[in-house]
Amino acid sequence: MLELVDITKVYRGGKRAVDAVTMRLETGMLGLLGPNGAGKSSLMRIASTVTRPTGGRVLFHGTDVVARPGALRRSLGYLPQDFGVYPNLTSREFLSYLAAAKGLSVRSARARIDELLQLVNLTEAVKRPLGTYSGGMLRRVGIAQALLADPEVVIVDEPTAGLDPEERVRFRNLLSELAADRVVMLSTHIVSDVESVASDIAVVAQGRLLRRGSPQDLLAAVEGQVWEVLVDPGDLPDVQRRQLVSRMLRTAGGVRVRLLAQGLPYGGAEQVTPELEDAYLAIVNRAGQPYAPSASDRSAGWR
Amino acid sequence: MPETVVRLAVGDFRDRVRRPAYAVVLIAAVGLGYLATPAPESDWVVMQVGDYRGTYNSAYTGMVVALAATVWLPLGGFYVVRNAIARDEATGVGRLLATTPLRTWTYLIAKFLSSVLVLASMLGVLAVTALVMQWARGETMAVDPVRLLSPFVSIALPLMALTAAAALLFETIPPLRAGLGNVLWFFVWTVLVLAGQSPHAPLGGIGVHSVVQSLGAGLAEQGIDPGTAGEFSLGLTQIQEPLKTFDWQGFDPDAAFLLGRYALVAIALGLALLPVLWFPRFDPARGRGLRAPASGLLLNPAAGTASGGAVPAATGLPVAGVRDDRAEARPAAFANPPRTPVTYGSPALRLLAGEVRILVQGIPLWWWAGVLVLAVASQMVTPATGVTRILLPVAWIWPVLIWSRLGTQRHEHGVEALLGACPAVRSRTAAEWGAGFLLTAAAGIGPALRMVTGADTQGLVHWFLGALFIPSFALLLGTLSRTHRLFQFAYLPLWYGTVNGLAAVDFMGAIRADDGSPAGLPPVFLAAAVVVMLSVVFLSGAARRATS
Repeated sequence: MLELVDITKVYRGGKRAVDAVTMRLETGMLGLLGPNGAGKSSLMRIASTVTRPTGGRVLFHGTDVVARPGALRRSLGYLPQDFGVYPNLTSREFLSYLAAAKGLSVRSARARIDELLQLVNLTEAVKRPLGTYSGGMLRRVGIAQALLADPEVVIVDEPTAGLDPEERVRFRNLLSELAADRVVMLSTHIVSDVESVASDIAVVAQGRLLRRGSPQDLLAAVEGQVWEVLVDPGDLPDVQRRQLVSRMLRTAGGVRVRLLAQGLPYGGAEQVTPELEDAYLAIVNRAGQPYAPSASDRSAGWR
Repeated sequence: MPETVVRLAVGDFRDRVRRPAYAVVLIAAVGLGYLATPAPESDWVVMQVGDYRGTYNSAYTGMVVALAATVWLPLGGFYVVRNAIARDEATGVGRLLATTPLRTWTYLIAKFLSSVLVLASMLGVLAVTALVMQWARGETMAVDPVRLLSPFVSIALPLMALTAAAALLFETIPPLRAGLGNVLWFFVWTVLVLAGQSPHAPLGGIGVHSVVQSLGAGLAEQGIDPGTAGEFSLGLTQIQEPLKTFDWQGFDPDAAFLLGRYALVAIALGLALLPVLWFPRFDPARGRGLRAPASGLLLNPAAGTASGGAVPAATGLPVAGVRDDRAEARPAAFANPPRTPVTYGSPALRLLAGEVRILVQGIPLWWWAGVLVLAVASQMVTPATGVTRILLPVAWIWPVLIWSRLGTQRHEHGVEALLGACPAVRSRTAAEWGAGFLLTAAAGIGPALRMVTGADTQGLVHWFLGALFIPSFALLLGTLSRTHRLFQFAYLPLWYGTVNGLAAVDFMGAIRADDGSPAGLPPVFLAAAVVVMLSVVFLSGAARRATS
């Protein structure tokens, strides 16, 4: 249905945000995972026709929407990472304006706005100007506008940021429901946001698509490579330098470290069941380098 | 402490000069320097003593360029430097600084100094331009650096300090922080420049009168009677014939003159420090009023908050004011997405209605009352043609702050991120222009009705063209600059020229010939200008999308 073919985006100044990414999306949810600065947002903006790629094509039902964006825009619900609102309009007025921009008829717009305000539970605040809304409420307005035109394709970029844990769960469930008969593309750097809802995960870093597959596929790739070991706190810097550490927990007996290694890293280390976060870290850190990270690479990052 | 001030000011200055807009400012400074030193055969001058001008030696070239800067930079420069505090709010740096031991007065002085540095750098560019222009004109090749530079330091720089201080002061006074301050400054500047040239101006005014006396003495030394040479003029004047030249060896300021300049700098410092009394130090609870009236909200997911401020998307902004979360009820469920089938229709009228709503959002009732008063007052003017001289210009300065929103709001409020993925881009632009036209027509409805009842057909044609011209001009400048300021900066001189009877810029048919017919810009020119401006708006939008 939606196809990204050899997409490249080079910004002024030469930064290559997206590098020859090709992916095909059918009904269901694709979770786009990657670290900050991986090119996720650029890719989402290209897929949603906001940004033109430097190279490559975006096809929607076979139509190149880089050249003819209108073909996708009527069927698209897009929730960007950062967006603003007109502060003196009410949520209904704002959604009504966006419904007109999307070309909805008066009757259709009215009915859907009512339903969507109910869906995101903003009916009580409907008469208040958006300038008085909290961050979470504005995020819900964003969700409502994305669903205005009953889109075939829903593209949401870091959608759960700003929502509280309860709202996050509910929104993820909503996306899951939408994905039953739509293309849903969800970008995030929070692994837990996709692991529970996405049947298809793409990992990107440095603008490139590193891996794509089901959660099971990704987990299978690190099967037998995840270990836990109890180390002395004094040895921790050395462990972090030598190994890819995914988690640490201080206990009375030392620090319990979860790490990725292809073989037994230390005597006493126990092999544990991999989680998606382990798989993600392995994929991102293995990109373009040997599995065991070099000391300089590890020391340059957050520890 | 001085070291802290300097480091803060230099850091702020660096941030400003590394923005692309700074290059435009410097190019404008070069343009001003060129304009101030026209070739002998040119039909304009910035400074003249009746039929005379000085030979382009270092003293005269330096002085004429410095005086051009003294007159024009306080106007243009004010708009350039009046975002010293706003940038810190927009970027969030202000909140970081607010939590440091930095004293408020230190912060204000650093901001003031940074603005002075920006304006001084423009003077520096003008000084270099003066040198280049002296050589380019080739009337005297010998360079006297002291004579060339001293007018910039002794005359122009104190005015820059005053401008920087005024900009900072305006930023800290909520009502003057946005468009109203921009408009007010235009009138303050007009008074400053005109009254400041008077021999009776306090503290020597803007310093021009002493220079005039020196120029007169120069003329007298060469046997030319200054009394018969004609009047001194500083600004931008069209001349019929090339001016005669005389040699002028420069201006030696006396102690009283220098004392006046020092006093200006001292006043500037005082003005810059005055906000210590009320500056809220980026505290949202105290600084509610600091928000620009047209500021928007931007969702900053990283912080999970809505933020206010007139800046592009992707920047987290401070929350100004306490938000009311009482109605933020827990969502029952994000379940069961609506299944009402979507049908499509013609959205043109609803888009127009939406754009009108967005354009006039937040306008207080008294503003509309003003329109009503003007409309009623217009019906009392006799003859009907008389309505264009005063009431029409008043009616069409009234919405200046609202027009300046055209072309900027999507960007300013961060809504572009949502609209970028919506169809009908050109329809939205057309609707936005239509909203501007409707607002212009509504503001000028009183004079128009009077023209109808007075059968002033020619006046109505010009009124209609004016109503087309203004939103087109505003949309063009707003679209290109994405700020309110450019339109406010450009429209006010046009309007002021019209009010002062300058037919060459009369775009609304305000000035009448003896037979009562409009004497301003020809209708064909106005219509063509509208077509060109709208074409640029649509083409620039397409180009921006293509290069996004």
